[in-house]
Amino acid sequence: MRDSLILVLVVAASYLAARVAFEWLARRFVIVSGAEYLLLGILLGPQLSGILSRETVESFAPIATLGLGWMGALIGAQLVLHRLVRIPAVLYRVALVESLLTLAFVAALLAAALFLGFDVTRGEAIVAGTALGAVAVASASAGVAVVARQLGRRSPVVRQLEVSTAANALVAVVTSGILFALVHRTPPSVGRPLTATEWAVVTIAIGVVGGTLFHLFVGEERKVDRLFVSLGGAVILVSGAATYLRLSPLLAAVCFGAVLANTTRNRAEIVAALDRVERPLYFALLVLAGAAWRPSVRAWTLVVLLFLCTRVAAKLGGARLAARWNGMLPTLGDDWGRGLLGQGGLAIAVALSYLYQDEVPLPNLVFTAAVASVLLTDVLSARFVRSLLRVDLLTPDGAARHEPNDAVRGAAASEG
Amino acid sequence: MRRLVILALLFGAMQLVLPLGASAHGSQWLLTFGFLILAAYSVGELAVLVRLPKITGYLAAGVLFGPSVFNTVTVDAIGELRPVSSLAIALIAYLAGAELRWDEVRRRGVTIAKILTAELVLGFIAISATLVLLGDRLPFLEGTSGASRLAFAVLFGAIAVVHSPAVVMALLSETRAGGPIARTTLGVVLVSDVVVVVLFSAVLAITRAVVPPTGANVAGLSLASIVWELAGAVFVGALLGGAVALYLRFVKHELVLFAIVVAFFGMVIAQLTHVETLLALLTAGFVTENFSRHEDGEAIRHAMERSAAPVFVVFFALAGAEMGLRQVALVWPLLIPIIAVRTASLWAGTRVGVRWASAPREARDVWMGLVPQAGVAIGLAAAVGQAYPVRGAQMRTLFLAVVAINQVIGPILFRLALNRGGEIAGAAGEPTPVQPHRAIR
Repeated sequence: MRDSLILVLVVAASYLAARVAFEWLARRFVIVSGAEYLLLGILLGPQLSGILSRETVESFAPIATLGLGWMGALIGAQLVLHRLVRIPAVLYRVALVESLLTLAFVAALLAAALFLGFDVTRGEAIVAGTALGAVAVASASAGVAVVARQLGRRSPVVRQLEVSTAANALVAVVTSGILFALVHRTPPSVGRPLTATEWAVVTIAIGVVGGTLFHLFVGEERKVDRLFVSLGGAVILVSGAATYLRLSPLLAAVCFGAVLANTTRNRAEIVAALDRVERPLYFALLVLAGAAWRPSVRAWTLVVLLFLCTRVAAKLGGARLAARWNGMLPTLGDDWGRGLLGQGGLAIAVALSYLYQDEVPLPNLVFTAAVASVLLTDVLSARFVRSLLRVDLLTPDGAARHEPNDAVRGAAASEG
Repeated sequence: MRRLVILALLFGAMQLVLPLGASAHGSQWLLTFGFLILAAYSVGELAVLVRLPKITGYLAAGVLFGPSVFNTVTVDAIGELRPVSSLAIALIAYLAGAELRWDEVRRRGVTIAKILTAELVLGFIAISATLVLLGDRLPFLEGTSGASRLAFAVLFGAIAVVHSPAVVMALLSETRAGGPIARTTLGVVLVSDVVVVVLFSAVLAITRAVVPPTGANVAGLSLASIVWELAGAVFVGALLGGAVALYLRFVKHELVLFAIVVAFFGMVIAQLTHVETLLALLTAGFVTENFSRHEDGEAIRHAMERSAAPVFVVFFALAGAEMGLRQVALVWPLLIPIIAVRTASLWAGTRVGVRWASAPREARDVWMGLVPQAGVAIGLAAAVGQAYPVRGAQMRTLFLAVVAINQVIGPILFRLALNRGGEIAGAAGEPTPVQPHRAIR
């Protein structure tokens, strides 16, 4: 109980401090991030100050799981088919090729490194490597959103970055979801062991059934307060069911969100209800993720460094290759992949859901890599995008677009 | 029909999922929580169709899916979800305090005090006397005589007079009632919580003197501890309320998160400082509402109501799940006289109080809002169980059965009273609430 009190006190005070500090930083240096909450969690957690004991952190795991589910539902709710079909196919091709190249490159290299450098089987190395690949694919959308809000959709790079970050999120979530289905072991109480395909179907079914049930549940309800109760219940049920079955709460919730977004007429109200607690849950997720971090042994530092370098190379190289293969290089430029270097909260979410799986190899290594990457790149994500747009502003079509710096600063401040 | 299909689908889905998994990282906690929200909400909507309060539906969902019937919500899951109940009680207390305006307390204070005094005194005496008359038929009075019988009967009477702010608040929130019956009932149940805690503490101390407990947890309810429990609660609550008012004045960000933090923080600090949780949160709500700008108080109240909605649904569903149907079945012949006497004394006591205070005639229906019993009552019964392991446990069993019945009929009666008084907002052909802007949403 005393731990809980300390948790509430420290989180509340630190939240305020972090908020004030980062509002200033956002205004001054165009930093849009959630990394401060992750850092806060690490500082409070058992590894550093010990203010939060391991038991306390574990007792708050359902909140973190709910945060994962909520994040997944929000990602899914963006997948509105009639809007998606309006986007040119070439943007999807570039985004998907970049995502898959990054996934394959990071997964292959890290799996090989783990197999050679650690006492793990080939299968275990592939599982951990693929998880790292999934983490690597995720990129921060906050920086892109800040710039997009100011520039509208006039810039092709911004448009591509928007599609790419969404595709990255989807690939990361689907990969981790399939991975959990592959490594899943059926509990002894179940008569016939289920195959990996069946577990994958179960994951998707949880989301689809949850979404359908919710659709039946709310009907034409438009009051946000009433929607919020039902929506809260449904997201909790979906993420709880997936976690209870040791599957991916993120993938189940993405399916749930997608079904909702495409089957209801009251989409705007549902998104409003989802948005209502997005920020608090996101902050809670990051703080708890930080506190749950167990640093890897020293030998793993090299792997984490390798992950960081590989990811940067994969993102930059993959983006360039994807653009070249699709004839988009003149429009997007050689270095458009820089806009995808920032790692947002989704990377932490994917790594945290991996950490919560009991049957996966090297969970702390995967989580450490994600934490390190987010801490290093997330704070700079908006700056990466801005640096890219400085070049983009002087594209051959000539017309100098308005300088985003001040606008970005203003938006960053409101985002902060 | 649609609601029934949803319930069947939900139940079917849970039956499919539960055997396939294993509890880890609080996942069953989350699964049960989500299931209870949706199931209880569906049954609540069904209850509305048959003109019953939603709360009755939530309770019914708890009974239906709890250990007594389908066992979808197991005893272990109920235990895991106990913090949700504690949080709900904290939220209820804070919201109740925030509903009290100082000018209204001054205006209605005398009426509330007189009604409360009359119904409490009458109820306490009548129930205690009934128990003495029932004597050996009651398991916990078997083999007692004279002073010890009287002491246990009085102890039961001190718990039985308790009301339920949770049910009253939830029903006012559901119906958006804000007229004289609603406001007076709310005032009576809030003040009675404080009075009953004092009464119970005093009676328990006397009972201990008359019948010293053997081999039980007799850790002190001394006069000093009672004084600290109450005065300390006011002090802690005032500090918390002041801090909230400052936050609203100078920061006012992320109110949904902040509202939950306030309730949780208040609950934990009350437990750590050994003060009465309900009173501390109630004071905090009162101080915030009366010492901050009107729009700030309104903002935190709305934020708290929003974040509390799913918590309340689960709170009542859990209360239903904890109702022991077997216990009720075993002791039902003894329940009839006790419940009848309690209800009659509430009716008579309220009439006396209304006449004494020269209150409007419609205030006579306030008694219907005093019938429900919930969290505090169960907590006090548990305290008796700790003090007297054998007789206390027998008393607790009987009392929980009384609470179960009152919990079912109470919301129905209170809704009836609000309906008769024309205080339910939006009902066709009924007058607008007296103070719609102060109604609990």
